[in-house]
Amino acid sequence: MPDIHHPGRRSVLAAAAAGSASLGASWLLTGCTGASAAPALPRGAQQGTPDRGGTLRIARPPASEAETLDPASALSAYEYLGALYNRLVRIGANGELAPDLAESWEPDSKARTWTFRLRKGVAFHDGHALTSADAAYTLRHILDKATASPQAAVLAPLVDPAKLRTPDAHTLVVPLKTPNAEFPSLLTHYNCYVIPDGSARGIGRTGIGTGPFKLESFAPAGPGRITAFTDHWAGRPVLDAIDFYSVADMSARSNALLAGQVDLLSQTNLDFATARVVAASDRATIARVENAQWYVLPMLTTEKPFTDVRVRQAMKLAYDPEHVVKVALQGAGTPGWDNPVPPSDPAHLAAHPKHDPEQARHLLKKAGHEGLTVDLYTSSYDPVFTPMALAYQDSARRAGIRVRVKTAAADSYYTQIWMKKPLMATYWYTGRPVDQLFTQVFRGGSSYNETAWSDKAFDALLDRARQETDDERRRELYGEAQTFVVEKGGAMTPMFADRLVGISRKVRGYAEHGFEFDYLGIGLKGA
Amino acid sequence: MLSFIARRVLAALGTLVLSSVLVFLAVQALPGDVATQVLGKDATPDAVAALREKLRLDQPAWERYADWIGGALHGDFGLSLVSGKAVGSEVAMYLGNSALIALVTVLFAVTGSIVLGILAGLYRDRWPDHLISTVGLVGMSVPEFVVATVLVLCFSVALPWFPAVVLYGPEASVGQLMPAVWLPALALAIVMAAYIVRMARTSVIDVMASEYVTTARLKGLSTWRVVTRHALPSALLPTLHVIALNVAWLAGGVAVVENVFNYPGIGKLMLASVQNRDLPVIQAIALISAVVYVVCNLAADLGAMALNPKLRTRGRTR
Repeated sequence: MPDIHHPGRRSVLAAAAAGSASLGASWLLTGCTGASAAPALPRGAQQGTPDRGGTLRIARPPASEAETLDPASALSAYEYLGALYNRLVRIGANGELAPDLAESWEPDSKARTWTFRLRKGVAFHDGHALTSADAAYTLRHILDKATASPQAAVLAPLVDPAKLRTPDAHTLVVPLKTPNAEFPSLLTHYNCYVIPDGSARGIGRTGIGTGPFKLESFAPAGPGRITAFTDHWAGRPVLDAIDFYSVADMSARSNALLAGQVDLLSQTNLDFATARVVAASDRATIARVENAQWYVLPMLTTEKPFTDVRVRQAMKLAYDPEHVVKVALQGAGTPGWDNPVPPSDPAHLAAHPKHDPEQARHLLKKAGHEGLTVDLYTSSYDPVFTPMALAYQDSARRAGIRVRVKTAAADSYYTQIWMKKPLMATYWYTGRPVDQLFTQVFRGGSSYNETAWSDKAFDALLDRARQETDDERRRELYGEAQTFVVEKGGAMTPMFADRLVGISRKVRGYAEHGFEFDYLGIGLKGA
Repeated sequence: MLSFIARRVLAALGTLVLSSVLVFLAVQALPGDVATQVLGKDATPDAVAALREKLRLDQPAWERYADWIGGALHGDFGLSLVSGKAVGSEVAMYLGNSALIALVTVLFAVTGSIVLGILAGLYRDRWPDHLISTVGLVGMSVPEFVVATVLVLCFSVALPWFPAVVLYGPEASVGQLMPAVWLPALALAIVMAAYIVRMARTSVIDVMASEYVTTARLKGLSTWRVVTRHALPSALLPTLHVIALNVAWLAGGVAVVENVFNYPGIGKLMLASVQNRDLPVIQAIALISAVVYVVCNLAADLGAMALNPKLRTRGRTR
């Protein structure tokens, strides 16, 4: 599953899966013995400031042999994007929108036309100055059918590429087809990095952007190198260069880190056994990205018995998310209480129904499904899937629900199981704005609506929220949307998990949240 | 003898044709829609339909098979669905890298294990035999990825003598790959050697108990001479088959080990191609593996014939 759920399109090789599955089993055994076996994993990244210069070596999982540096493409080499390019807006550490290439933006009174004022004195790597023409071209490139960008489906209902206006070199005016008070948040997506006017044909190889690094070499699914762009508008980055290496196998990636061949494992949520080995090493340690992974057990609302809202409610009330966090994550995360909006989001609603197996039993009886038995599909695609499924199984037993956990092949999991089986395990990255989250994953008919849930009243609520220009009122409406999803939707959200990232002990200034990675500040000690 | 060779070669060719059909059918049966896997989940129905037409998935299977095998006979395996490069040259590049590992492995495994096997056979039921047999049994029982991982922990992480993974792409030069060849080769050799050791040991024991060895001993020849001149050639004969089968096995075992070391060889290409449902590449690799298997077996049979007078004359008496 490409797009927002990034790791989904990453290659997970069969052998890697087998390897992590055996590791997973071993830590599950220790995990089941209780909290005393919880790993002593470090809380945050290494403190202290980096030295200027040096080369950071990053091991990343390649997307495919067809990888490209075109940010709009579904096959973009994700790890390069934030280093080579900038967007108009990004997401700050507090979850609010922050300026990137746009210094400011404002809607008209109805949130129907948005005006972005671009930063002045920004240069592309080839020397030419950024203007609003580049920003307009980027949007048209995303919307161009030939690009086949995943983000086109989100923007096309809102933006007519022919109507974009550039009244002066630093102003971009975007008239919308329907009012949307959250429109700028849609531009924080990693498909929306700004590329030079007219660059569509070459951008996949040249990688010319306004970012803190410029491209030296790039091979699809192979090694590549980027070097500091000294004319970057926010100052030069700490590092002199970053070397990227493609390592498809997860245990091979951690071996490279342990052997001191690389300094950082990108896009790898280490399983607990590996994480403990890495943390115990002299060379490497663990950095945590809090609540970075959003884990879901989607129920297909078009398949029996989940067509009945009472069954869905029972499935949610039946289990204790705190138990799942304790067992599946060994405490390294936050209970989700079936609310998909992460606790770090400013729009997050903390209130939730209590865990109530008796009520679940009662609802099932009323729906005629007493003693319900369901199949829950998992795979070794992600190390947490199976422990999460087993923890759910264990917890839901108290409500008389029998869960049969079935393991499917990892390499075809997202084509054969996801959105096809009535109940399965999956995950997304957090860090997407609330409107985008609801529109893409919960709105009736949207391409990533993994529960096939379709509720007119919910969709109308979303429409009202995005048209509401009063911030306070809009936040209330998004709160109502969360309650709606918790009470009627098909997705169970047991938890948000910390992402465990392997880094060398020399790395300083590592900062990551959602899809944002601080390429400017990261560096090495003793570089 | 000629007719024996001719029949053996014909059988080999028949096996190849059969395996090419099976490869073709197996690849068609891979789960997951090819077009969706190649284009990504966001592909529009139009794009999927266009790709299916381009792949000629709408045409009958036997026609596609005939096309494919016709091209393969001319060394033309088509274009990769993912990278768009010619499959033939791509596979050749990865195959060359794997050949480097295979070569070192065979050198390690064959020489080492024959020496050990003979030692074990000569010192039957004494401590050298017990030691070699026990270690061999362990090597045989442990899967190669475990052996590989243990080697990495010992010789890359604890003692930083060799690289843990290869960070170069498939275009890496022999010089760049050389430091990374030893651990994978050692891992494969350990697993592979166990079989050859056992086979060589048994043959040596059999031969040493045979009458002509007793005669040679009675003639007063030294043990060393008896072993090298009389026992060894006979003992090597059955070992040859085991070696041939193991060399063929390398093609598959390499896949797992290459993955542990991120080594840019044919095994890694195969896994990535299955992952991406890159049909032309999978088919080419599977066919080449079949050829390696058949050729190794054929060579073993013909080699055995050259070494064994009985087999050599059998064809003539008929």
